[in-house]
Amino acid sequence: MKKTTYIEGITEALDEEMERDEKVFLIGEDIGIYGGVFKATKGLLDKYGAERVIDSPISEVYIAGGSVGAAMVGLKPVAEIQFADFITPSMDQIIQQMAKMRYRTGGQWTCPMTIRVCCGGDIGGGLYHSQINEQWFFSQPGLVVVMPATPYDAKGLLKSAIRGDDPVIYFEHKRLYRWIKENLPEEDFTVPIGKAALRKEGSDVTLVSYGLMYHRSMEAALALEKEGISAEVIDMRTILPWDREMIFESVKKTSKAVLVQESSKTGGVMAEISASITEEVFDFLDAPVARVCGLDVPAIPFAPPMEHLFLPNAEKISKAVKNIIEY
Amino acid sequence: MPINKKKTVDSKANQISLPKKTMLGLFDNLLKTRLLDERFRKLYRQGRFAGTYFSAVGQEATTVGPTYGLRDEDIIAPSHREIGANVTKGVPLDKIIAQVYARESSPDKGKSHPCHYGWKAKGVITPSSTLAGQTVVGTGCAMGFKIMKKDNVVLAFFGEGSTSRGGWHEALNYAGIHNLPIVYICQNNLWAESVPSTLQAGIEDFSDRAKAYGFPGITIDGNNVFTVHKTASEAISKARKGEGPTLIECKTYRWYGHSEIDPADYRTQEELEEWKRKDPLQIAEKILMDLKILTTTKREALVEQINQEIDEAIESVEKDAYAAPEEAYIDVYSEQFPVKRVDW
Ligand SMILES: Cc1ncc(C[n+]2csc(CCOP(=O)(O)OP(=O)(O)O)c2C)c(N)n1
Repeated sequence: MKKTTYIEGITEALDEEMERDEKVFLIGEDIGIYGGVFKATKGLLDKYGAERVIDSPISEVYIAGGSVGAAMVGLKPVAEIQFADFITPSMDQIIQQMAKMRYRTGGQWTCPMTIRVCCGGDIGGGLYHSQINEQWFFSQPGLVVVMPATPYDAKGLLKSAIRGDDPVIYFEHKRLYRWIKENLPEEDFTVPIGKAALRKEGSDVTLVSYGLMYHRSMEAALALEKEGISAEVIDMRTILPWDREMIFESVKKTSKAVLVQESSKTGGVMAEISASITEEVFDFLDAPVARVCGLDVPAIPFAPPMEHLFLPNAEKISKAVKNIIEY
Repeated sequence: MPINKKKTVDSKANQISLPKKTMLGLFDNLLKTRLLDERFRKLYRQGRFAGTYFSAVGQEATTVGPTYGLRDEDIIAPSHREIGANVTKGVPLDKIIAQVYARESSPDKGKSHPCHYGWKAKGVITPSSTLAGQTVVGTGCAMGFKIMKKDNVVLAFFGEGSTSRGGWHEALNYAGIHNLPIVYICQNNLWAESVPSTLQAGIEDFSDRAKAYGFPGITIDGNNVFTVHKTASEAISKARKGEGPTLIECKTYRWYGHSEIDPADYRTQEELEEWKRKDPLQIAEKILMDLKILTTTKREALVEQINQEIDEAIESVEKDAYAAPEEAYIDVYSEQFPVKRVDW
């Protein structure tokens, strides 16, 4: 067992997968000589050389689309998008090539590849260095979308993404990079894609979230516990395809759901989860499904008081829980 | 503003020395492409398949020429007017026809789009419709070949209009930095749907774009299949040896509308007639006859033989069924993630 941060988990996963399979290579801006702006790829250029750790030009279209091509001829690309805010130029390639390659070619051509996306707020990053934008990818069947919340999952999900046969958008939250440490096993392990984690059992309400918001939800759950409210906490881990079974089973048990998401509310992931809960387990509900989400404004504003207003936190989540408990 | 400035490209046809077998092979594929393409237009008018059809008649030499002689493992990254590349790469006629007919027997099982031909066994990527999309993906394939130290090459095809896209430039920029094994073929047919090439870029020769990326750009007569083949082959062997990419602009013309629903009334009859006089098929035929490699009798026999192959392939494809509608649920992901089916 070794105390490991979230970002160390990512570096270890990359290193171990590159060691394990020579088809794995990395491409992205500043990932080589500099080791990545967050140092996720530190040391890998020296170890694996410039053919497998490629410092790309500032070309988000190419980083995504070039990786698609390389995957089609048999490599296992792991691309990095330096900030989720700058993934917009890649959208054409992600949506029209990566997500649809298997489908549009009748299964002849596939692109097993991973795009690591450094994302998230609560870091004072301002309007253009705080976004996630996971909802755009969530609404595109053909993509797998994951977002780990813990060092264990950061490492295990990245390994599964790299070893799998499908194209994966891997969101890594900047706020989590060095915040939490966890003892990780020395031996090889993976975390299955498509399976959520039941982090805390409870009987009064189900809290569903992912990424940083899982931690905010857990903080709320622990505070509520002291007030006699028992919250069950689910960390989705995989956003697409999401673990319907675990969420539905939990809601059947607690009869109440509060869904927490960092990105803006409208058209977000939790809108879909909420609609699905009402479609599939409506009879079990004792109160309307509640959502605690980022504000419906263009992105997270820079000034600290505005960022604070934008983001859900334990207090806002607890309040939403109490509201539906009193319903 | 001068539209379609006339620039006569000297074909130097008779000076091109190619083996007799190559010349006949090129002609054979050119003829096959033409006959199949004209047949598709007829079938479309007869309502024998749905959607529309994108004819490449008039510009076949730009796809047949570069593709001829490639290996199966070499990759074609096409757009929507590359019927000739598919024929020449050896994609069977019934696969090509099934694609247009959207049958289950089509390589894409009927999912994509008419004229978006592709077959992995021959290295042709079934394209998306997003113009220049495959230029990026094809460049990625070339990057893959380089990383794996394989001496395969990629041929990326696109119209001059597609070269205005940002992704196209990102791809060529990357290929230039890393000397990738790829040859870019620009089919400049003077029109991008209804927009003339003069409104597409401030340069006359689209091959000039290569300068910015540090590799050669060449403009050639795209209606002489022998010139196109020779120029492309040289670029291909260079790429195969690790000496980097080339951008080849082929000046050509499409005879019919952008697709069959387009009357093409944005251009003049004179312009069309002028280009019809430079018919790539007739140019090739004349050269071969002058060289006494081809006779009228031999040509007629070839036409008859190809038409018979086409007839047989159409007959067989028309008997093929569409895939069951539930095929829509397949190939979204690997088998690990089955798609939830709707209970209508
Ligand atoms: C990104 C994108 N924009 C617009 C279109 C619609 N469209 C299809 S073909 C075409 C013209 C293409 O011109 P060019 O690249 O010169 O090829 P050509 O059709 O002349 O062979 C347009 C505008 C598209 N398919 N993709």
